[in-house]
Amino acid sequence: MSNVISEIKKDFIYNLLLKGERADGRKFDQYREISIQRDVIKKAEGSALVKLGSSQVLVGVKMQPGEPFPDSPARGVIITNAELVPLASPSFEPGPPNEVGIELARVVDRGVRESKAVDLEALCIVPGKQVWIIFIDVHILDDCGNILDAASLGAIAALLSTKVPASKFGLGEDYILPIRDIPIATTAIEFDDVLMFDPGVDEEAIANTKLTMITTADGCVCGAQKSGTGMLKPEQIYRIIDIACEKAKEIREKFLEA
Amino acid sequence: MDRKVVVPGDLLSEEAKRSGEGTYVKDSRVYSLLYGLANFRDKISVIPLSGKYVPGVGDNVIGVVKDITFSNWIVDINSPYDGLLHISEFPKRIESDDMSKYLRIGSSIMTRVKDVDPTMKVELTLNDRKLGQIKAGQVIEINHTRVPRLIGKGGSMISMLKKEVNCNIFVGQNGRIWIHGSAEDTDLALRTITLIEKEAHTNGLTDRIVSFLKAEKRARS
Amino acid sequence: MIVMDETDISFFKDGLRLDGRKADQLRPVKIEVGVLARADGSCYIEMGGNKVIAAVYGPREVHPRHLQEVTRAIVRYRYNMASFSVEERKRPGPDRRSYELSKVSREALEPVILTSFFPRSVIDVFVEVLQADAGTRTAGINAAAVALADAGIPMKSMISSCAAGKVADTIVLDPMKEEDNFGQADLPIAMTPNGDITLMQMDGRLTPDEFHQAVEMAMVGARNIYELQRQALVKKYSQMTEPGREEARVQ
Repeated sequence: MSNVISEIKKDFIYNLLLKGERADGRKFDQYREISIQRDVIKKAEGSALVKLGSSQVLVGVKMQPGEPFPDSPARGVIITNAELVPLASPSFEPGPPNEVGIELARVVDRGVRESKAVDLEALCIVPGKQVWIIFIDVHILDDCGNILDAASLGAIAALLSTKVPASKFGLGEDYILPIRDIPIATTAIEFDDVLMFDPGVDEEAIANTKLTMITTADGCVCGAQKSGTGMLKPEQIYRIIDIACEKAKEIREKFLEA
Repeated sequence: MDRKVVVPGDLLSEEAKRSGEGTYVKDSRVYSLLYGLANFRDKISVIPLSGKYVPGVGDNVIGVVKDITFSNWIVDINSPYDGLLHISEFPKRIESDDMSKYLRIGSSIMTRVKDVDPTMKVELTLNDRKLGQIKAGQVIEINHTRVPRLIGKGGSMISMLKKEVNCNIFVGQNGRIWIHGSAEDTDLALRTITLIEKEAHTNGLTDRIVSFLKAEKRARS
Repeated sequence: MIVMDETDISFFKDGLRLDGRKADQLRPVKIEVGVLARADGSCYIEMGGNKVIAAVYGPREVHPRHLQEVTRAIVRYRYNMASFSVEERKRPGPDRRSYELSKVSREALEPVILTSFFPRSVIDVFVEVLQADAGTRTAGINAAAVALADAGIPMKSMISSCAAGKVADTIVLDPMKEEDNFGQADLPIAMTPNGDITLMQMDGRLTPDEFHQAVEMAMVGARNIYELQRQALVKKYSQMTEPGREEARVQ
């Protein structure tokens, strides 16, 4: 689909914006309906299917023993990858992740890593020789907007459902991977001075500024990413942080029930 | 029963002459080509639920200019095929160098399909008073398979709608629709069209739309 | 890691297989139509422990242009496995096996697609294996056929796929993982409901007679799957034609 088509959709969304409305009737800081199903892939050590509106993201966690990085011989390893497979969107092409996919994986990784949700020291088996390697694989199934927030939710949900497969490798009994925090990513786009949270696919296409904040259970920011070719004022950023903490808390609370 | 849900390959009839749209004939039997609703009249046809818009000669469509060559505007018509608007099909005589002055990339036009050749080269025209560039009003997109329902038998649904909401409406066969009227009337037209799209396959739709419009207009006054 | 070999397993006990099935029984199948919003057509299928999703985009413009055919649509099929779909994490991206599977799967479906209706375009089929449990290629083809129908692609008929195998000198239908890994032969097929075969592969060792039996058994399996594909499609349509039930599709 050519980019020019956004002209028709751009005008449509803009007209609604002037009236203070969004195409699907949501408030500007309202998230679409979220559903999280854990443990959906039995072959994986942990997994979660997240639906955010019509967006669908599947995250699988696999664990295996391996060598530590030379500069951190007694710490486990986390490797996060995202596959923006062509079935999820007419604009995803087959092939290795491009800059968008790589950015998504790295931001999801940032949330998990910087929140210290996983105790990497506890993943050491034999210092200098063997540690647990955690693979977080994000598989986008349906891109209807804001797959980053969905992927980030999926990653922590999958980790929460992860069982360390110690028995498979003769390393003792299986146990639940201890998770110490629940980082939540909250993304907003800026369009004509209006901030819209959890953008749908058309809203994403017309905006050229996006900001993601990842917040922890105690209300700290552990990751941030501005993307797109537009500009933001500091006041807009601070407002986004406030709303992000609020939204993350709501999602985290609903989550702990999930 | 004169309507039935079918899948590709379903046997529809032993009489080859009854083969209509969406069907094919093999060994004198008629089979379905599509997943959709089979209509059993003199001819048996299968209406699909989904599928891309394929331009046909005479179709009204709304397009968006996506490129300009020496003598053609290349127009996106929401189809696997682009439309070509040749400079000679512009209602005024203009020079090639001036093409972008009249229709630039991003311009929307109400146009008609003049010709389609076997390789699916689609030619458009603006040579008609009812056609032209869209300068005001709003354009929305619906699923093109719902357009026949929006138009109705002999145009009944669309004429009723135009009258009741007091708007200019141009319906593109490719699912794009232009609406022009007051803000309030346009809003009602949009909501009615969205409702028709959503319930296109149901029975008793016309009556429900008539009641919907009556209720909305009463609520206004 | 515990390594198994064929001598460790007894594939049959009291006439039943490791998962309790009879020799000619299919694993449970679940088919859902139209599960993705962005794709033109889609299908999610579970066959035993296999979880596979197929999406169709098209007909749409071909990029790069030089690939287009003037008289017909080209068909592309991409089979891909998610990293977490198998026991030992798989590196993302295609390998030689997925290229081969993609080719034969495309060739299983192309014979029934009316590509001449859409010159100069492409019909893209994408299959993602989310969880693998022997028979992913047949699950993929079954899902792809339903996704093609869901996308409104004109086809002469549906295509259904099933495999037969040989374990402990017995021909069995729809081999599961252990039977596939440690059995004596594996024979996947795909066909039209009329029995025209569009995919056939085999590895292992079978006498001509056993080959015959395996094909017959796989064809019966494929026919059963056709009935399930058909049911799923008809059910979805009936749900959509009820007022207020259909969700307005985001364009």
